[in-house]
Amino acid sequence: MWIINLKSTAKKTMNLYQAPRNRQLKIVSILGGEGVRRRLFALGFHKDDLIEVDSRAILKGPLLVKNLTSDMSVAIGRGIALKILVEIGPDEK
Amino acid sequence: MRNSHPVVIFIGQPNCGKSTLFNAIAGYKAEISNFPGTTVKHTHSIVNIEGRLLNVIDLPGTYSLNPSEPAEKVVLTHLFQERPDLIINVADASTLGRSLELTLELRELEYPMVVALNMVDLAEKKGITFDSSKLEKTLGVKVIPTIAAHGRGIKELLEAAFYCLDEGCPVSSVRWSKDVEEEIAHLAGQIPADFCIVANRRFTAIKLIEAGQQFCGDFLADVDSSLKDTVDRVKGNIEKKRSAPAYEVISAERHHLALKISEQCSRVQRGRHLTWDKRLDSVLMHPVLGYPLLAAIFLAFFFLIFKIGNPLEGALLRPFSSLRSSLSAILGSGLLFHLADGLLQGIGGGVAIVLPYLFPLLFLMAFLEDLGYLSRAGFLLDTFMHRIGLHGKSVSPFILGFGCNVPAILSTRTLESRRDRVITSLLIPFIPCSARTTIILALVAFYLGPLWALGFYILNILIVAGIGRILTFFFKTPSPGLILEIPTLKLPSLGNMFRKTYFQLKSFLIFAWPILIVGSIALSMFQFLSLDRLFNAILSPLVVYGLGLPRELGVTLIFGFLRKELSLVMMLQALGVDYKSVLTVISREQIVIFTAFVSFFIPCLSTFAVLWKEIGKKVAFLSAGLSVATALLISIIIRLIV
Repeated sequence: MWIINLKSTAKKTMNLYQAPRNRQLKIVSILGGEGVRRRLFALGFHKDDLIEVDSRAILKGPLLVKNLTSDMSVAIGRGIALKILVEIGPDEK
Repeated sequence: MRNSHPVVIFIGQPNCGKSTLFNAIAGYKAEISNFPGTTVKHTHSIVNIEGRLLNVIDLPGTYSLNPSEPAEKVVLTHLFQERPDLIINVADASTLGRSLELTLELRELEYPMVVALNMVDLAEKKGITFDSSKLEKTLGVKVIPTIAAHGRGIKELLEAAFYCLDEGCPVSSVRWSKDVEEEIAHLAGQIPADFCIVANRRFTAIKLIEAGQQFCGDFLADVDSSLKDTVDRVKGNIEKKRSAPAYEVISAERHHLALKISEQCSRVQRGRHLTWDKRLDSVLMHPVLGYPLLAAIFLAFFFLIFKIGNPLEGALLRPFSSLRSSLSAILGSGLLFHLADGLLQGIGGGVAIVLPYLFPLLFLMAFLEDLGYLSRAGFLLDTFMHRIGLHGKSVSPFILGFGCNVPAILSTRTLESRRDRVITSLLIPFIPCSARTTIILALVAFYLGPLWALGFYILNILIVAGIGRILTFFFKTPSPGLILEIPTLKLPSLGNMFRKTYFQLKSFLIFAWPILIVGSIALSMFQFLSLDRLFNAILSPLVVYGLGLPRELGVTLIFGFLRKELSLVMMLQALGVDYKSVLTVISREQIVIFTAFVSFFIPCLSTFAVLWKEIGKKVAFLSAGLSVATALLISIIIRLIV
């Protein structure tokens, strides 16, 4: 029973803020206004990229997100993290 | 500035080591940092490199040619107006996939270009190895591996640059997916011959599609309405084909191409072992441990500055006071003496701020910045900054504000939205700069004890927070939120720190110091004409009834506007006592009220002027009004409770 549950959660889409730490994640889509999207694109964060949440500041603070393909770390504020939808990445077992 | 010398532009993403490389080549003229976007002013210099004169320009770091911060916009202006003879694109080898995005975008310009693949040592440490000849072939431009910090690869880079300047090295842009390329080609064909074409037709077409408002999108309809229709149609077609906005499609094309090239030309053997910087980072950025560390680092930071500053200040001011007494012996007490005295005080005041306080502060800031710690502090403090309607990127200007408000306000140029810049600039004048800190130390710490001074600081921070909170009510548009690159921790080089400090100091020396000197001469005239009595009389309702201070202190408040740090000297002069016997004329409560009023009331003249210049007249006056109101309110509250 729980195996089925695990499988279903593996494909579940969630926002980046809810995503677990230190797991490979895939960006499903980036919502939000044009300004925010453009800034994320400029920093090399696109749909289908593989990322990882490395750290999370206290009190609804920002996330430290690493792009696994370009190996670049970015601090992303909570408001923006809520607009990035991710799922568990393909390499995760 | 343009003349017959070939124009060479240095361009790269933030933290790619571009300024370090530029300095290694062009001397010590550009600013370096490890905090995204601090080279806000570009450096334009004619340099003699191996006997050839080149006009080299170091542009601020930019992630792409679609700017979002004012600092990045400088890049576009330069690229478009000053058609360079050569672009030296500095790419961070340790994050190649990302760096190549800008390289590919620059290639679209089809200007002669050389890529400096910088920080290959850092990449090697990460386990990345390159096939640079393959990269060169794929990109179609010369690629020179460099380690700017150690001067490696510089010679080869210069050889390649000279080769390109002499022989020319044609660059052609890369083509993207067929469906997108078709649309671009269609639009490029439709651009009329008399339209301002930047670089080439394809580049102009791409920018018309992706850049939106930034690339004459706003007035395109007025200039050429049929072209605007074509642009809109092409955008619509792309959006239909890919079911995503056109700007995203184009950005994704570059992104995927960059990642593909990076995968083809480099091999990564990523071990799971932790390097020293990762281990250090896991502590520095730790959600719990990070904060006491942050507090400890900044406490040590300020302690060190004032440990250095205090004795140094005394030593530096001694020759000035002896010069002053000999001046008075020679010139008597006439107009000439007052003019000379004002000038001397102005110069001395500048020296007393710059060397003892500002220099160590900026130097230590440079250390933290180059290390990469400031952006980490931004990460940690973001959540607190949110409470006052800002985000982590404003942390760095605030810390600078503790040294001098002028460079702090200048550094708000790295913030993307005007809203954030205005709020940050309105709050900076409430940060006790080194001049005000000396007053707090000399009055509060000396007469009431260090705990009072600490309390005063805490009160100050609370006031900044409170005002920030209130200001956000008036700025309805929300802050765009934090997206801040956290660069790899790097050991800063002493040379870079000095250069950076020098650049920050320059803004004080050029901008604030002259104002300080003029203010000082004005004050001296003021005394000469004995206008102080008049001002004491005018201000007495406020000073005596409002604040409960002796009437003689009225004039010092005017001085506070012209020169904050003089308030202390003026206070002693006005009361007619020496430093040790202040308590015989006023009470300790009055000292607290006076200090509170002086430190909050009105930004100093230099700060006011820089606010006017950077953000606008309205904000400068708003800031002045805000500080007067705050100073009054705080002093009266203190008076009521103490």
